[in-house]
Amino acid sequence: MRSKCAIVGLGVTAQGVGLGLEGRELRAQAVDLALADAGLPRDAIDGYIRAYVDREDLRYMGLSPNFSVSMMTGGATPVFSIVAAMAMIEAGQAEVVACVYGEAQSAFATSGKQDIGSYGYGYPMLYGLLGAAATHAFHARRHMHLYGTTSEHLGAVAVTQRDYALKRPGSLGYGQPLTLQEHQSSPMIADPFRRYDCTRNTDGGIAVLVTTAERARSLRNKPVYVLGAGTGHNIVNWHKGQVYENHDNIAPARARAFGQAGLSLADIDMAQLYDPFTISPLMQLEAFGFVKAGQGGPLYAEGGAGPDGLIPTNTGGGQLSAYYSTGFTGVAEAIQQLRGEAGDGQLKKAETSLVSGHGMNAGVQNTWAHACMILGRNP
Amino acid sequence: MSETLQELAQHPLMEAIRRYGGDPADVPFWEGCSAGSFRLHRCNLCQRHYWPASRCVEHGAADMQWVEASGRGRLYTYTVMHRAYTADTRDKVPFVIAVVQLEEGPFYHSNILDCAHDEVQVDMQLEVVMQPHASGLTIPQFRPAAR
Repeated sequence: MRSKCAIVGLGVTAQGVGLGLEGRELRAQAVDLALADAGLPRDAIDGYIRAYVDREDLRYMGLSPNFSVSMMTGGATPVFSIVAAMAMIEAGQAEVVACVYGEAQSAFATSGKQDIGSYGYGYPMLYGLLGAAATHAFHARRHMHLYGTTSEHLGAVAVTQRDYALKRPGSLGYGQPLTLQEHQSSPMIADPFRRYDCTRNTDGGIAVLVTTAERARSLRNKPVYVLGAGTGHNIVNWHKGQVYENHDNIAPARARAFGQAGLSLADIDMAQLYDPFTISPLMQLEAFGFVKAGQGGPLYAEGGAGPDGLIPTNTGGGQLSAYYSTGFTGVAEAIQQLRGEAGDGQLKKAETSLVSGHGMNAGVQNTWAHACMILGRNP
Repeated sequence: MSETLQELAQHPLMEAIRRYGGDPADVPFWEGCSAGSFRLHRCNLCQRHYWPASRCVEHGAADMQWVEASGRGRLYTYTVMHRAYTADTRDKVPFVIAVVQLEEGPFYHSNILDCAHDEVQVDMQLEVVMQPHASGLTIPQFRPAAR
């Protein structure tokens, strides 16, 4: 498994609010950018995975793959799509698979076409439960109860990520400092989350090209190798009554990813962890074992997730402060760091990165899907 | 279960249940609420309780039955909603949404009645009270348990 496949092309469109482009156009631009980045012709793409909902993409983009798959497992979809791309390559169905995202979220907001159904939670809606902030607040409140985590700890996550974004042109947080005091005085949304504990939707497209390690070595970019990957579903913690202690079901995903990579936590230079709300990277750092359960808050407060800390996390500002490409944000940041293309935000040591995605909070409740992978500069 | 799922799908409560993404398999629960009874779906082989309707993680559909539950539990976690995302919550904010861990094990989402926001605490003991809802369903709500 280790390093059988590599990422050889990355396309990141403009990211932001009100770009005025359709989702399909953003995906088409992302694919064009990824092809140009990889130095591959259009007909090299022989597999196409559209993260999230399917549309009529192939004709518009002039692509001719062997297959086109629409994939939806919440914010875990981007990482999952790369794992699935490797599986299709291994199965002999393709040699270059495009994993593609592009959404014009602000077009939904202005047209009123936003489908709130996807943010509903079934029967709990009888009690006014709507929106991901409330469901993630359940995790945050439980964590506060068990470990004494505070709103200031959550604020430290927001400030840490904003500090990263300050150095990254094109991110929403570029040149927009955020202080802990500003976090603390921002309005309450869903207690304990204040405004700066929450993300907001942005427009943007991202495409990643996955191919065999062998072919990767003949292409223009330094390949970014997939060293290992893992998945875990939170339903098992629902059955055990432990779903609020477990933001995601990371244990099985971590075991598989690190097992395949033959690496330990100490070998990981940075983490790009899915961050819809401040509690999310905090709890993931605990679940992956970088700190003990309950120590995520103090870690952030002491700068442990900053560029010189124990584990630099969400180093481009993440979805909280850079842009919200629904899980591709962290994938793109890891690739840019590993290639040494992160500009003023480039980490001193960037040989390996952990990348996670999670989501599918719907139904009776919660963040169901989790997928993670370890990317590396070297096979 | 005496009625088939096809029969339950024709139940008058289904229109409201579907509006909330619910399933005919849950009709006996909502019928119970209308009759003032708080029910859970129990596997009679191992006594595990479930909500909503479920197959047992161990025994599947072998012996599932809707049974009267205690209607008691403890507050497991909660949020206070400060934003109204729907018209019917506009005059309610701020309001509490809690996750109740029932004595029998399952989680149940509810508002907390008869309790000021700043007195809501994780682990507080709660009891059920039935309340009419605009949807036409009668819904379980929880309030601090009488001592």
